[in-house]
Amino acid sequence: MKNLDSVFAAYLIGWGVFFLFYVSIAKRTADLRDEVERLKNSLQRAK
Amino acid sequence: MSLLSNTAILLGKELRTEFRSRELLTTTAVFILIVLVLFSFAINPGTEEARQFAPGLLWLAILFASSLMFQSCFLREQSNDTLSALRLAVSDPFAIFLAKLIANTLFLLLTELLMLPFFAVFYNIPLWSKLPVLILVLFVGSLGISIAGTAISAISAQARMRELLLPLLLLPLLTPVLVVSSLVTGSLLDREPIVQWKGIEFLAVFDLIFLTALWLFGEYLLEE
Amino acid sequence: MGKRIILGAVAILLVIAAAYAAFYVAPEERTMGLIQRIFYFHVGSAWAGLLAFFVCFIGNLMYVWKREPKYDWLGVGGAEVGLVFTTVVLITGPIWAHPVWGIWWTWDARLTSTFVLWLLYVSYLLLRTLVEEPGRRALLSALFGIFAFIDVPLVFGAIRWWRTQHPSPVIMGGPGSGLDPTMRKVLFFSGLAMCVLMAFLIAERYMLEKMRSEVDILRREAEAQ
Repeated sequence: MKNLDSVFAAYLIGWGVFFLFYVSIAKRTADLRDEVERLKNSLQRAK
Repeated sequence: MSLLSNTAILLGKELRTEFRSRELLTTTAVFILIVLVLFSFAINPGTEEARQFAPGLLWLAILFASSLMFQSCFLREQSNDTLSALRLAVSDPFAIFLAKLIANTLFLLLTELLMLPFFAVFYNIPLWSKLPVLILVLFVGSLGISIAGTAISAISAQARMRELLLPLLLLPLLTPVLVVSSLVTGSLLDREPIVQWKGIEFLAVFDLIFLTALWLFGEYLLEE
Repeated sequence: MGKRIILGAVAILLVIAAAYAAFYVAPEERTMGLIQRIFYFHVGSAWAGLLAFFVCFIGNLMYVWKREPKYDWLGVGGAEVGLVFTTVVLITGPIWAHPVWGIWWTWDARLTSTFVLWLLYVSYLLLRTLVEEPGRRALLSALFGIFAFIDVPLVFGAIRWWRTQHPSPVIMGGPGSGLDPTMRKVLFFSGLAMCVLMAFLIAERYMLEKMRSEVDILRREAEAQ
């Protein structure tokens, strides 16, 4: 089948872009969640 | 009407400020000239193909020049905080924008008219017979550039890296003006000139839409 | 939290189903063959991208009106997600064009307009990085976002008119170039799947921004002590 690799490339790259975007959000959200914990703990201790 | 009289007064101030030193007009005119000359090194002017590129290059030069010209628009109101004074002086903040955009349009149009002879000579394009319509196209296009430029100038004045930010925000916004103005000017200066009224109408619609948006949202651009 | 997980799961299922439909339900296109199946992914992403920018626009309007931070979060979410989908459109377009036309980019009307759209919202995000104070950043980007969105129909209109004067190869066939009914259904289904995916990604990005503002508040509290 001609052009099969082009079609695959399109779908793969497309899904790849969405996946990378989602992973980047998830990672940043997790980091922020840790930061929130850290800040809340240090505020508790300071009180 | 209070808006009109306020605008007239502010417009007088803008014009007087500029004509006292004429620095904006002269630097912008020289800049357009420099860009036109530089373009000549990139393409080969005087040939038939160059004649086809020329209208687009003219509008490109105008766009670049405008992104320099509008830098000072709101920046000059930041020293001595004259912007607060302006806001207190008028009842409708839109008067400030109206005055500035009319002034900017006039300045832009003036520099373009100054450049036209050079443009005609460099690219071997006879302009005289089509001058009225050409001036109309320059006007509608420059009006659009000024309206958007004045609004964006107010935004970039409040951010970092404002010299780079202004063209970054303004140029994508003005793509319709560049595309349509170049097309209409090109048709006008062709061997068999045609007046593309549809294009001129499009530019007028662009102007109206952005003017309305500026009218609706301008006051928020000036918030403290 | 639970709602977002459900939305995400539905999105993934729909996207997989749409891909299946694109390959096995839609009939093969007569002239282009297999490569045409990119069409469903490409156009679906384009619609989702535009819808995401519309969400950004609504967020911008609401922020200017109400000044509540959540509308700014919606704005940046819509802009970033819209940019992601638009990037996919700009990547799949050339991947389609190359086998068919032999060139990567044809300055086709819709793809060129999409590129300008992409530039507009990249500028939107760049503006945000250059304003530090959150309230000012939200207001200025909301105002630019409004100007950007009203420019969108003008950009598409101007470039389309430009292309009628100087025609060039059209990617994915012109509008109304006769779509087979099954193809049309698969296309709408793909569009739907992409829009659900878009909604999920905007929701996730919104929560990230919400958390970021919480961290800012906590940080300021911690510094005050």
